[in-house]
Amino acid sequence: MKKLFCLALALTLAMAFCMTAMAEETDGVAAIQAAGVLKVGVKADVEGFGYQDLDGTYSGLEIDLAHEMAAIILGDADAVEFTAVTAKTRGPLLDTGELDMVIATFTIKADRIVQYDFSKPYFVDAVGLMVLKDSGYTCLADLDGKTIGVAQSATTKDALQAAADEQGITLEFSEFPTYPDIKAALSSKRIDCFSVDKAILMSYLDDTTEILPDSFAAQPYGIAVKKGNTALLDLVNETIATMREDGTLDELVEANNLVAVDWAVVDSYDYLWEDAAALEAAAE
Amino acid sequence: MYNWKTWFSDWTFFADGFLRTLYISMLGLAFTLVIGIVVGILLCGKNRVVLAVCRGYMSFFQNTPLVIQIFIYYNVLPKLGIYLDIVTIGVMGLALYTGAYAADIVHSAIKAVPTGQMEAASSQGFGYVQAMWHIILPQAVKIGLPPMTNQAVNLIKNSSVLAVIAGGELMYRADTWSGDNLIYGPTFVMTGVLYLVICLPISLLARWMEKRSVRHV
Repeated sequence: MKKLFCLALALTLAMAFCMTAMAEETDGVAAIQAAGVLKVGVKADVEGFGYQDLDGTYSGLEIDLAHEMAAIILGDADAVEFTAVTAKTRGPLLDTGELDMVIATFTIKADRIVQYDFSKPYFVDAVGLMVLKDSGYTCLADLDGKTIGVAQSATTKDALQAAADEQGITLEFSEFPTYPDIKAALSSKRIDCFSVDKAILMSYLDDTTEILPDSFAAQPYGIAVKKGNTALLDLVNETIATMREDGTLDELVEANNLVAVDWAVVDSYDYLWEDAAALEAAAE
Repeated sequence: MYNWKTWFSDWTFFADGFLRTLYISMLGLAFTLVIGIVVGILLCGKNRVVLAVCRGYMSFFQNTPLVIQIFIYYNVLPKLGIYLDIVTIGVMGLALYTGAYAADIVHSAIKAVPTGQMEAASSQGFGYVQAMWHIILPQAVKIGLPPMTNQAVNLIKNSSVLAVIAGGELMYRADTWSGDNLIYGPTFVMTGVLYLVICLPISLLARWMEKRSVRHV
């Protein structure tokens, strides 16, 4: 009898689980409106994009974008719930439905589009190099055979490797979970160079470090939503397009002390979606 | 399917990490045994200073998180002019941490041998060291081996914290690769399986030894 009861309980739980899972499959925008709040994954440690003060308030371009999205979807710019994400957590949190969208310096890449739906870019940034002032390095070529610290799940490694291949030098990479980890490793001279997108590097600049003039592979940032959430993706794309046209996006970029975006460069990234479609077709 | 295919196409990347985990764990285990046996035997002595040092070592390493210990070796020691490579940090960090537990096991295994054994050995003309080596330790090994194998399994699993300092072992490779490819499911399932491949045989060995020792006592 007891066994039967346990079995019945397990079955009920399993069914309840399946049903909630199915309920999530409905229109993404309607689901957010039903919840009354937009759940957004943002960076908490990148000044200018997503940065959390000691008192808990978020600021930055991506925070402003999130408020804008909430205003469009829910009619209330403050109906946003921020969750701090890292390069490593932002993907899985989208998959589990914990977040509606991720606006967290997420670089658009063809093989990423296979896994998530990306909006058109709202910002372009290049990869930069930070070294200790007393190290004497002045350009990438000086770093031949040295170790570069990069963030896990970041596109930095690929960009630098391509540049290194071009210059005929070799680089070693050490990957860390968070930016402060990389900075700590640079300070303790575990690595010779800290490399990530330039705007992010700026927030780790201090008396002992300097950013080299080199720039590599401009990286377009996009807003990511769960794969197949087309209704939400369309709305996000429309909003970005409108903000570009009426100049609000440029104003926000300037208000957050970021370098003005060259929209011609942004539009040159349309090929990424074609590459992604080719990848998916090849995998079939 | 695309995800699984991609994972298997990069299997050598994980094989390297697997071997590194195995290498660090086995070296760490060897040092753990040395530390455990030395400290465990010292704990059976009566010298107050020695006892205090041993107790201090065990208290510190048992009651601080391994990840903090590793972080200190990696980022703080270089500022003091001590620069250890990743493998050394892994082996030393795991051995010092697990050794603190191993010492407890060795100590209690020796204590678990009935005092009559030591008395009988002395009455037959054995000195302290001789009695320890020929009479007490062989019996203690039987008692202490099963819990010691559990510590070995823990050590192997704990080697995964090296991922936070770019250790290059299995967990680091799983984190890095899944981040690069945004493929999490297959990666962590297979990484779990690889840890299981190392740990399960040891656990089974422990169970078998436990059964055997019960039969022989």
